[in-house]
Amino acid sequence: MTASPQAHNAALFAGLKVLVVDDSLEMRRLLVALLNVMGIDEVICAADGDTGLALFSERAPDLVITDGSMQPMDGYEMTRAIRAMRKENDAPGQGADIPVLMLSGHMGPEIVARARDEGVTDYIVKPVTPELLYERLLEAISKPVHVVETPTYRGPSPTRRLVARQAGDLNGNSVD
Amino acid sequence: MSETFRPRNADGTDKSVDARFLRLPSIAERKLGRDYSAPIRLDPRVLDQMQQTIRELGSKYAETLAAQVGLLPPLIQRACAGIAEARGQIYTIVHDVRGLAGTFGHPIVGSFAKSLCGYMESSSGLDPTIMRFHIEAMRDALEDPQPDAGLARETLRSLELLIDAAGDERSVG
Repeated sequence: MTASPQAHNAALFAGLKVLVVDDSLEMRRLLVALLNVMGIDEVICAADGDTGLALFSERAPDLVITDGSMQPMDGYEMTRAIRAMRKENDAPGQGADIPVLMLSGHMGPEIVARARDEGVTDYIVKPVTPELLYERLLEAISKPVHVVETPTYRGPSPTRRLVARQAGDLNGNSVD
Repeated sequence: MSETFRPRNADGTDKSVDARFLRLPSIAERKLGRDYSAPIRLDPRVLDQMQQTIRELGSKYAETLAAQVGLLPPLIQRACAGIAEARGQIYTIVHDVRGLAGTFGHPIVGSFAKSLCGYMESSSGLDPTIMRFHIEAMRDALEDPQPDAGLARETLRSLELLIDAAGDERSVG
């Protein structure tokens, strides 16, 4: 007998560990509350990329949600550092294979292109809505992870098409 | 799966880069096994709970937002005089408002904040009139329980024209 999709959903979310990196206390509170409602109990928070990177190494999250602009280290640099992490073997679920969802107030093509080049998996334009967050998170955890590995990088292909997702915008703005 | 690219250097010589392409199981498959199938639609009960959470947090956020916008006017003069600390304080607040106001039902305030962020990111010097008009527009939208979207669009357009005019003056000067 196959379990219902919702049962799968609940079991999946309950087992997730998510790292939230954002310099806004209000945004961290909002994301933690929404992730908790989705059934994710283990949410780790950081207010900047430096701390986020340290927590990433220490706590090994399943998924990262990060702001773009932060100091001293921003979300782009943090993602680059994550994608440059080397692994001892090809076992999935380690370091560089983890989806990184960037939440940003910017939607210019050059900013989205930078996010893609640094290894961001999905780019979400603020303001965030429940539908958008839920949908993108589900997509990130339920799709196979396609990875390119070079001597200095392991993560999503930097030559792929990345769409800036926005609430109410089904097509998004893409960078090829 | 492994493949070797052979892109060219500027002088036409071979520049080989070793790259491997890997397809790894999804996080869901890793957690729940290979038979996991993604739900075809979002769970409406979860979405309702998320909306309810935003409503609950929204009343608290409204107080925070009003306090944040109230901090801005006294900083304008010093920020426009080139004091980096004041400029940084304004940007931090406005950046925060840009990211959150729309989520909590204040999209017009968020639009004005976005416009001001864009202006501050692209300008080395700050014009006090542009700064003041943006902040007044944010405050007015916040004080009006049902702000007029058409009027807000016109105001936003006027602010954009003001920014463009300031840019033209700088390039002529």
